[in-house]
Amino acid sequence: MNTNAKNYRQKIINLLITVVISMLVGAVLIGVLGNNPWQAYGALFQGAFVGKLNFGTTLANFAPLLLTAYAFIIPADASFFNCGVEGELYLGAITAAFVGYNFKGLPGPLHIVLCFLCAMIVGALWSLIPAVLKVRWNVNEVCVTILMNYVAMYIASYLVNGPMSAKTGTAQTPAVADNTQLAKFLVPSQANTGIFIAIAVTIFLYWMMNHSTVGYEIRSVGQNPHFSEYIGISPVKSMVNSMLISGAIGGMTGCIFVLGVYGYFLDNFSMGIAFNGMLAALIVGNDYKLTPFLAFFIAALQSGAQGMERNTGVPKSIVDVIISIFIIFATMEALFSFLSKKKKNSTAKSQSNTHHKEAES
Amino acid sequence: MDDFVVEMKNIVKNFGQVHAIKNGQFSLRKGEIHSLVGENGAGKSTMMNILYGIYQRDSGSIAIKGKQMEKIVPKTAIENGIGMVHQDFMLINDLSVLENIILGWEPRKHLEIDFAKAEKDIRYYIDNYNMEIQPEKRINQISVGEAQRVEIIKTLYRGADILILDEPTAILTPQECEKFFEILNNLKKDGKSVIFISHKLNEVMEISDRITVMRQGQYVATVNRADTNTKELAKMMVGREVFLNIERKKANVGKTVLSVDNLWTSGEKELSKIRGISLDVHAGEIVGIAGVDGNGQTEFIEAITGLRKVERGKVMLNGKDVTNLSPKKIRETGLAHIPEDRNSRGLNRQMNIMENIVAVKLNQKPYTNGAKINVKPIRDFSEKLIHKFDIRPDIPEMCTKTLSGGNAQKIVVAREVDADKDLLIAAQPSRGVDIGAIESIRNVLNEEKQKGKAILLVSADLQEVLSLSDRIAVMYDGKIVGIISAKDANENNVGVLMMGGTLQHDKTDEGSAAS
Amino acid sequence: MNFGKIFDYTLIYSTIRYSTPILFAALAATITQQADILNIGTEGIMLISAFVSVCVSYYSGSWFLAILAAMVIGVLMAMIMAVANLKCKADICAIGMAINMFALAVTKFGIKQFLGTTGTFTDPKIVGVPKIHIPAFDNIPFLNKTFNNWSFMEVFGIVLVFILYHILYRTVWGLRLRSVGRFPMAAETAGINVTKMKYEVMIISGIIGGLAGAHLSLGYTQMFTENMTNGRGFMGVAAMYFGGMNPVVAWIGCLLFGFTDTVGNRLQGYGWPSQFVLMLPYIITILVVSISLWRHTVSEKKLKSSVIPAKKVKKGGMV
Repeated sequence: MNTNAKNYRQKIINLLITVVISMLVGAVLIGVLGNNPWQAYGALFQGAFVGKLNFGTTLANFAPLLLTAYAFIIPADASFFNCGVEGELYLGAITAAFVGYNFKGLPGPLHIVLCFLCAMIVGALWSLIPAVLKVRWNVNEVCVTILMNYVAMYIASYLVNGPMSAKTGTAQTPAVADNTQLAKFLVPSQANTGIFIAIAVTIFLYWMMNHSTVGYEIRSVGQNPHFSEYIGISPVKSMVNSMLISGAIGGMTGCIFVLGVYGYFLDNFSMGIAFNGMLAALIVGNDYKLTPFLAFFIAALQSGAQGMERNTGVPKSIVDVIISIFIIFATMEALFSFLSKKKKNSTAKSQSNTHHKEAES
Repeated sequence: MDDFVVEMKNIVKNFGQVHAIKNGQFSLRKGEIHSLVGENGAGKSTMMNILYGIYQRDSGSIAIKGKQMEKIVPKTAIENGIGMVHQDFMLINDLSVLENIILGWEPRKHLEIDFAKAEKDIRYYIDNYNMEIQPEKRINQISVGEAQRVEIIKTLYRGADILILDEPTAILTPQECEKFFEILNNLKKDGKSVIFISHKLNEVMEISDRITVMRQGQYVATVNRADTNTKELAKMMVGREVFLNIERKKANVGKTVLSVDNLWTSGEKELSKIRGISLDVHAGEIVGIAGVDGNGQTEFIEAITGLRKVERGKVMLNGKDVTNLSPKKIRETGLAHIPEDRNSRGLNRQMNIMENIVAVKLNQKPYTNGAKINVKPIRDFSEKLIHKFDIRPDIPEMCTKTLSGGNAQKIVVAREVDADKDLLIAAQPSRGVDIGAIESIRNVLNEEKQKGKAILLVSADLQEVLSLSDRIAVMYDGKIVGIISAKDANENNVGVLMMGGTLQHDKTDEGSAAS
Repeated sequence: MNFGKIFDYTLIYSTIRYSTPILFAALAATITQQADILNIGTEGIMLISAFVSVCVSYYSGSWFLAILAAMVIGVLMAMIMAVANLKCKADICAIGMAINMFALAVTKFGIKQFLGTTGTFTDPKIVGVPKIHIPAFDNIPFLNKTFNNWSFMEVFGIVLVFILYHILYRTVWGLRLRSVGRFPMAAETAGINVTKMKYEVMIISGIIGGLAGAHLSLGYTQMFTENMTNGRGFMGVAAMYFGGMNPVVAWIGCLLFGFTDTVGNRLQGYGWPSQFVLMLPYIITILVVSISLWRHTVSEKKLKSSVIPAKKVKKGGMV
C-alpha cells in the first residue's frame, strides 16, 4: 500500500549502475590475467543463453536462487536475519531422498507430494529452533543460523555416508522412486519441472506478503514490534511464522534438487546456493518485485561462467569475485545518493536515536 | 552597553518543509535566570539546541560573551561555557555516575583515567551546591531526580557558567521543584546564568528575572517578571484568551467496568514496580491517575492492557478475568487504549495513515476477506475518520513519518475512540501536542464520558488531571497512595501525595494512603 | 573408552591451541561491538588474511612479513566494511556477509592463480610463526607438554586479552569507546567524534582479524585450505556475545569451544563418527550462547520483578 515511485526508480537506476561498475571491474581483472574482456564476456553470454545445455543450466540455477532469496526476505521483513537457509536446504533434501526411496509402492503424484510435504515440515521445524532462541532469549540469529548450517550439513553428511548410504563408493543415497522424479527438459542440462513449481510458489508468496493479513502482520512486526504488540499482533507469532515459512521454502528447494536434478541425495551438493539467494535479496534491498530479476541475472552469470571457462580459459571464480564485488557495492545504499543531490537534512536525521523525531519545539 | 553573555539575532531554521524557527531572538544577561516560554512547536527547544550546537542555524547571528560565533558544535558551546541539560537525559545507563560526568573531560594519568582526582573534583560540586549524588552507582540504579543533578554537575564539571535547562521540572513533584529552585538560586548567587525552558507558567513566574515568549517559531516579546503575570504570558503564548480549565461535566456513574485487585507487576526501576494496586473504574466517569512520571504508571497501564506480565493479583474487565490475556483478547473484551508513547506504541511510523487507522479492525470484514486485504473499504473508513477528527494532511496514503505530534495523536485517538469499547485508557494524551489539538482531545474524552464509557486517564500534567477527572488516584512508588474526589482535590493535597507524603486531614475515599 | 587417555593434562595445551584462532576472532568482534558495530565479517577477514600470509611467507620466506601483510589486508577489508557502513549506510550484517562471500571467492581464485593448485596448498617453503622453546622444560613431561613450544601467537593472544581489558576500562580512549557504542548522542555532545572512533575501532579489528588469519595458516601448521576458517570467525562472534563485550569473559568462552573441539577430536579415535565430532564445536557454541543469554534474560527479569526483594548492588560501575 505504501509506495514511493520516485525512490523506486532511483533504486533501479542505482542497481543498473552497480551492475555496470562491477562488470567493468571484472573486465579489468580479466584483462590483467591476459585475456580479452570482450571475448570473455561474449563467452559468458553464450554460456548463459545459447544452446539447450546453457540455457537449461541458467534456468536450473534460477529456481533455487529465487526460492532461497524469498526464504531470506520473508523473515527479514520481520527483522530476522536468517542466514540458515543452507541448512534448511540440506535437511529438506535428505528428507526428500529418504521419503523418495522408501515408500516405493505409492502412486506417483501422491509420492511426490509426500516428499515435498516432509521436506517442508523438516525445514520448518529446523528453522523453529533459531526463531525460538531469538524470541525467548534474544539470541543473535545471524550467529546461530550460520552455526546451525554446519550442524545441518554434518547431520546430512553422516546420514548419507552411514545409514542412508547407497554403498556405491560416492557419498549418495539410493535413487528415489522413478515416479517421483520431476520431468526434465532441455536435456542435457539440469532443468526440470521443479522450476515451474518454484515460480508458482514465488507468485503465491508474493501475494501472501503483500496482499494478505499474514504478510501485513509480519511486516508490521518487523517495522515496529511495540506497535504490533499493542494493536494485537503477536510479535512472537509473526516472527515464528516467518521462520516456519522460510524453513518450508528452504526444505522445498532441497526437495527440488533431489527429485528434479539428481534423483538422489548427493553429499555437499550445494556450494552455498542459499547464500547466493541471500545475496540476491540483499542486493535489491529485500524487494519482492526486483528479486526475481536479480536471481535470474546471477543464475545467468553462474552458468555463463562455466561456458566462459570452457571456451576462453578464464577461471570460473572470476565470476564469483565479480558477484561479490557487486554485492559489496550494492549494500552501500547511500553511495549513489551522494552522487544524486538529495536534499535531506543530515543533521536532523543523525540525531534521532531510536525512532523518529516529530517536527516541533 | 548591557553585559549580554548570549545574543541570538534573526535566527531562521527549517527542517525540510517545516519552518521550525522563522524569527528567533534571544538575549541573556550575566547572572540572570531567563525563562524561554511557548507551547509545543513554538521553537524554544530548537533555539537552544542551535545555541548549543546540536542544530545549525540557516541564518542569523549568535554572539557568546561578546564573541561572534560562526559555526557552533556542542564542543564549541562547551568551550565557551555553555552547558545544556536536555529533557531526555544524555546519560549512559551502563556506565557509572562518575564515568558519565567526566566523559570527554577525563582527568588523565598519561593515557589512563585518574579516578582518584575525578572523585575529588566531583565531591567539590556535591558539597558546594548541596547536590546529593552517588558517583559509584550506575545510571540505571539511581532515581530520576538524582539523574537530573548528575546532568547539572556534568555541565558544571565541564566549566559551564551558562546553563540551559530544557523543561527540567517535567519530571519533578511540586516539592522537588522547590528544592530544585534552591539549587538554581545557589547557581545564580555563584554568578552563573540560567536559561529555563518551560511551558509551566506558575514556575516561570516564581523563578525568573526575565521571560521571553515564542509562538509558532516567532519571537513575540521579552518582559521583566515584575511587569507581567501568567494570564498575560498565556495570551502572548497562544495569541488569544486561553481558558486553561475546561469545564468538567457531571458524571453519571454506572456499573464497574474495570476492576483491578491487588496487582503486582515488574518495573523498569525499583520505584516503578507495582506492589499491590487496587482500583475500580465505572461507566460514565473519568478516573485520573496523578503522579510524577516513573512511579509505575507506565507499568500499571501495560499490566492491565496485556503488555506486561501480571505477577500477582487480578484484572477484571466487564466482569471477565482478563489477567495476563493477550492484548488482542483484552481489546476484544472491551478495551481501547491511547498509549503514552505514540511513536513506538501508538503508531507504526513507517506505514501510512490508513494502515495505522484501520489497524485494530483489520481482521474484520469488509477490510479483509479471509486472508485477503481489501484496500477500498479501508480507504473509505480512513477518510471518514480523517474528516471527523480533522487530521492533517487529509491524505490516507500519506506516510505517518512526517506528521506533527498533534496530528499523529489524533490518528491514535480516532482509532481508539472509533473502536467504541467500554473502557478507554488515555495515557499522557496531551504530551507533545499543540494547544488546539489538546483542547479537541480533552473534549473527546468528555464526550466519551457522557456516552457512558469508563475512562482511565493517566497524566503527569496535574492541571489536566484536576480539570478532567471525577476521581483522582495518586500513584507513588508503585502504589496508589490516595484517591480523592474531584470536589476535594486541589494542587496542594494532590501534590503532597505525589511526593509520598501524607495529608493532615484524611480526605481520601479508599485505598492505601500512607500514615 | 578410556577416560584417562582423553582427559589428561595434555588437554590444557590442546585447548589453548584450538581456542587461539577463535580468541583472536572474538577479540576482533569484541572491540567493534563496544562501538555497537557487529563485525560479522570477521570470518572473511580471517580467511583472506590466512591466504595472504601463506602467500607472503611462501614467496618471501619471512613469517614476520607474512604477519605484517596479514594485518594490512585485515585493515583493508575492515576499512571497506567501515566505509560501506559508516559512509554509505550499508547494513552492517549485509556488508559483513558480503565480505565473507568476497573472501571465499577471492581466495578460491587466488589459490589457483597464485599458488597454482586447488583445495589445499602446502609446501616446505612456507615459513611458520616460530615457537617459543624453553629448554629448561624439556625434561619435565608436565611442563614440557603444557607450557613448552607455544607458538608466539598463542602467547600473544592471551596477552592481548588483558591489554584490551585494561584499555577498555582504565583508559580515556576506552571510556569514550564504551560511550560511543551505548549512547552516541551523549558521546557527541561530550565532544567525542563518534564516526572517527568507529573507524579507529574497525582498523584495530582489522589488525586483530589479520593476526587471527595469520595464526590459522602459519601458527601451528603451515598451509592454506579453501574455506579453512570454517565458521571459526562466527564462533568468535558467539564468544563475544558470551562475554557480553568483556574480553576476559569472551576468552573463557573461547577456551570452552577449544576444549570441546579437542575432546571431540580425541573421541574420534574411539570410533565416534567424524561428522559428530565435527558438529560438536558448533553445537556447543550454540548451547553456550543460548545459555548465557537465557541467564541474562532471567537476571533481567529478576531485577525488574516486583515479587523478588531488591538485592544489594555491587559497588563500581565496571563489569
